[in-house]
Amino acid sequence: MSKIKLQNVSVTYESKGSKYLAIQNINISVKEGEFLSIIGPSGCGKSTLLNLIAGLNFPSNGSILLDEDEIKGTGTERGVVFQHYSLFPWMTARKNIIFGLKQLNNGKNNEEIKKTADRYLDMVGLSNFKNKYPAQLSGGMQQRVAIARALAMNPDILLMDEPFGAVDAKNRAILQDLLLKIWEDGQHRKTVIFVTHDIDEAILLSDRIIIMTAGPGTVKREMDVPFKRPRERTMIVKTREYTDLRNHILDLFYDDLVQKIGGEEVLL
Amino acid sequence: MRKFINPANILFLCIVILELIPGKRPEGNIAYVLAFIFAAEIVCMIMVFVLKDKEKATAAGDVTSIIFGVVFLWELVVAKLDLLDKTLYPSAGQVFALFVSELPEMIKGMLNSLRILISGYTLALVIAVPAALVAGWRIRLYRVVKPLTKILGPIPPIVYIPYAIAILPTFRAASIFIIFIGAFWPIFINTLNGVFNIDKKIIDSAKVLNVKERAMLFEVILPGTIPSILSGATIGLVLSFILLTAAEMIGATSGLGWYVKYFSDFADYPRVVVGIIFIGIVVTLITFVMDKLEQYLLRWKK
Repeated sequence: MSKIKLQNVSVTYESKGSKYLAIQNINISVKEGEFLSIIGPSGCGKSTLLNLIAGLNFPSNGSILLDEDEIKGTGTERGVVFQHYSLFPWMTARKNIIFGLKQLNNGKNNEEIKKTADRYLDMVGLSNFKNKYPAQLSGGMQQRVAIARALAMNPDILLMDEPFGAVDAKNRAILQDLLLKIWEDGQHRKTVIFVTHDIDEAILLSDRIIIMTAGPGTVKREMDVPFKRPRERTMIVKTREYTDLRNHILDLFYDDLVQKIGGEEVLL
Repeated sequence: MRKFINPANILFLCIVILELIPGKRPEGNIAYVLAFIFAAEIVCMIMVFVLKDKEKATAAGDVTSIIFGVVFLWELVVAKLDLLDKTLYPSAGQVFALFVSELPEMIKGMLNSLRILISGYTLALVIAVPAALVAGWRIRLYRVVKPLTKILGPIPPIVYIPYAIAILPTFRAASIFIIFIGAFWPIFINTLNGVFNIDKKIIDSAKVLNVKERAMLFEVILPGTIPSILSGATIGLVLSFILLTAAEMIGATSGLGWYVKYFSDFADYPRVVVGIIFIGIVVTLITFVMDKLEQYLLRWKK
């Protein structure tokens, strides 16, 4: 049984009378506990796709099923981490997490909520920064708080939209390792859908990669990532399979690019 | 020693020397001028030594210099040389002396004014903010309310004064109503625009946390709109004060606006000048409190 299932999903935007097809006929099925990455060039609709699963938008055609039920809106079983500005700037790091936990309405009292918030802050290494406002934290730290907030709510499904896109290379590696560790250590593995445009990131993290192309956004190819877990970034990049897989994905990207340039007149 | 040679201190000495020269106007009140400049000098000294920020310390010195410059010219032209009309232009000493003796009366007037101001203004704040939050959030309501604000908002509230005084039973009720109207629109319009322009990413991240409507309005949209609410609230407050003093000049029997109008009817211009200076001080204090409140409410912005 698949956890999430997209069937013939299309999204059409309408602006000033003209219609624009953002994504067309997407069919994706995600297994429970799977780590799935979606990669593609900008404008291929990968974020649109994630927003659909989050319940922030609805498809113009087709259906999206979560545990066999149509998605009708947002839900606490799905945690979302965006690329930027997902923290509330007027709340401290700790308050942001507490605010998230309070929305669960699961009858936990304030003391338990505070304890949970502190535990997750500790997990992302920000115990010393818990009373800082987002504006006082670096981009990487803010993202760690956002991840802590999503994880603290203990969702079944984690939806991540280029969560490390605005973070510098060193911090990105730290955050990737942190995410992998949390995901692999979990008793009950969460289903993760991870949007990125970074091929290495997708290979390092995922069980399966979906490659999308733009104009309109469609699924171009699906690929399994063969590496065993737990994965060590320094080890896997040295293997032949890694290079092959990476080149294969790059070819698909490149292919796309050539077709586009070939299709139009290019003035240089 | 060189530290003490600056424009403020030089002007300070000039005023002291000036006051020792006998002037053409007999009613000198030298003691009050001297008391004032000594007090100003002490405050300035303390500021310069206490403030760690060099630029702020310099600014404090400059402001004091300007005040001393004005007092010097005022005393020179009016009291010592007597170049201006006696009834229209009181000397600085006369004004400072009157300020002290009239202070209890003016404070009473201020309390009367502030009671009306706070009633009308608070009423506007507690109605305009929640109403605008809801109207900005519900898109259907927004489409109705937005054109309405464009029609009703720009009517200068001052034109309501005579009518409000005529239809409402007491001057107090009329003033509260006028202040309410005056403060309502700037607060409402600013809040409404603030809600409408709130960063969509903030709303999305609240939605994915499954925030219910009540929490969305009061725990997400309200704090997110605080910068806009504050700018509306500041405009509303200044407008309220203008409206109140204007209304008091028309129909009141007490208050700050009444004080100025009453004595100008008797051609008692020294008291008019004293009243104007006092109103200036009150407005400055109110704005100061407002600024502090703003700093506190927006402490999360770096």
